[in-house]
Amino acid sequence: MNRAVAAVRAEGLVKHYEGGDGTVEAVRGVDLEVRRGEIFGFLGPNGAGKSTTVKMLTTLLTITAGRAEVMGTDVAQDPDAVRRCIGVALQEAGLDPRQTGRELLTLHGRLFGFGKAEAAARAQELLELVGLEEAADRVTKGYSGGMQRRLDLAAALVHEPEVLFLDEPTTGLDPASRLTVWDEVRRINGRGTTVFLTTQYLEEADQLCDRLAIIDDGRIVREGTPESLKAELSERRGEEVSLDDVFLDATGRTRDRAAGEVQEVGA
Amino acid sequence: MSATLTLGLRSLREALRQPDALFMTMFIPIFFLVVNTGQAAEVFPSSSTGFLEGQGYGAFQLPITLLLAASFGMAALFLVEEIEGGYFDKLRAMPIPRSSMVMGRLVAEAVKGLVLSSVIVLLSLPFGITIASGPIGFVLLILLSTLWGVVYAGFMQLIALKTRSAAATNSGGLIFFPLLFLTPNFVPRDMLAKPMEVAATLNPVTYLMEALRSLILTDLDWGKILPGFAVVAVLGAIMLALNVRMIKTYD
Repeated sequence: MNRAVAAVRAEGLVKHYEGGDGTVEAVRGVDLEVRRGEIFGFLGPNGAGKSTTVKMLTTLLTITAGRAEVMGTDVAQDPDAVRRCIGVALQEAGLDPRQTGRELLTLHGRLFGFGKAEAAARAQELLELVGLEEAADRVTKGYSGGMQRRLDLAAALVHEPEVLFLDEPTTGLDPASRLTVWDEVRRINGRGTTVFLTTQYLEEADQLCDRLAIIDDGRIVREGTPESLKAELSERRGEEVSLDDVFLDATGRTRDRAAGEVQEVGA
Repeated sequence: MSATLTLGLRSLREALRQPDALFMTMFIPIFFLVVNTGQAAEVFPSSSTGFLEGQGYGAFQLPITLLLAASFGMAALFLVEEIEGGYFDKLRAMPIPRSSMVMGRLVAEAVKGLVLSSVIVLLSLPFGITIASGPIGFVLLILLSTLWGVVYAGFMQLIALKTRSAAATNSGGLIFFPLLFLTPNFVPRDMLAKPMEVAATLNPVTYLMEALRSLILTDLDWGKILPGFAVVAVLGAIMLALNVRMIKTYD
């Protein structure tokens, strides 16, 4: 591993929860490296440990064992330094339903230490970026699912983070909204931001990601570029394969068993 | 501007956008004031009831009205809604002090408490209630009511942070609610039946109520006022310590 270029690095990352039925091993030793400037896809069935891993990397969950670094900073040792260089859009578009889009973005600017005028200007810039100028002064409760996702994305970009974590950013969106989010992700990445993207949509990973890792049952079971992963399986099987086949091969699932866990949905 | 103040201003805006909640916070306590006074004023006429200090029974009931209003804060419910909706995690992913996430809401509760308590007391004046301890007493009355509101809201926030459920937070509030009534709210403590007197003596809210009542009915009586402030100081310190600990270990 080249330590100098890693935007995100995890070594032996483990998360255990204590539940009523005993200890739940949500993540069982994840090793991964995300290079600066790439879009890294993190795939896995429901309950595989994707969101738990993201929450550990973004300081939202404590780490049971192992270690993680974001832009060279240890997540557990200096969480505030990590928080300053990451943007986070989690699975559910977490928005304050009683604030307008503009108020929410301005608030985030203020919380990141911007002055009043600077926060207002940044909010306006982001509203234009995600095409929400007309809805800017309406409370977010009335936003459609697509608008909420775009605003959530904008909120994650307020402080121009070096690494953007997107946890299933297109789940539940219609095809048009999904395409809009894809365009935004490409545009953000084009400006130099590293993107860590979890998704259930294999088509999305194939379209967007430079490299990806597949997690199953709390462990990484495949890692590489979409092309290299397909080429490796294709060579083994002696036939053309898709990323869906790679996923099924990696997780030991059949198409029937995978239905509802990972979806082959195109935009 | 500090994160606590920034989040406090947001919580105030949030409260102003939920005027129905503010209305209920005012309506229910005033309803109890009117009903309780109406039911018992004939039993305790001011002319022959020594503990009223020459005022009507409404003056004796005003403290429970203030305590009720202060205990109807919405901070915990807004917080749990934020936890359930995912926005709380968005805030947690920011480089702001963990304590500001709970303290911001308490700052807003303090501002709301100051306004609501002042309005209730001012509304009571035309009905013959006077603040016998004068302008200083008025300020202390509002301050003590407000501080109690902040303490109560803080304990409710603890339930919200622990359970992360609106239903559980609502139910949890019912645990604290009886404390408001295990007090000498209809007659002075020495006139209560013995078991009730013991319960009221053990209940810290009693000292708060007696402090508020003394500010309304008599001149500044520090022997009654200071225990009230001591109760909010001790409970407030416990509440703050538990809130900060809870938010710092929130996973």
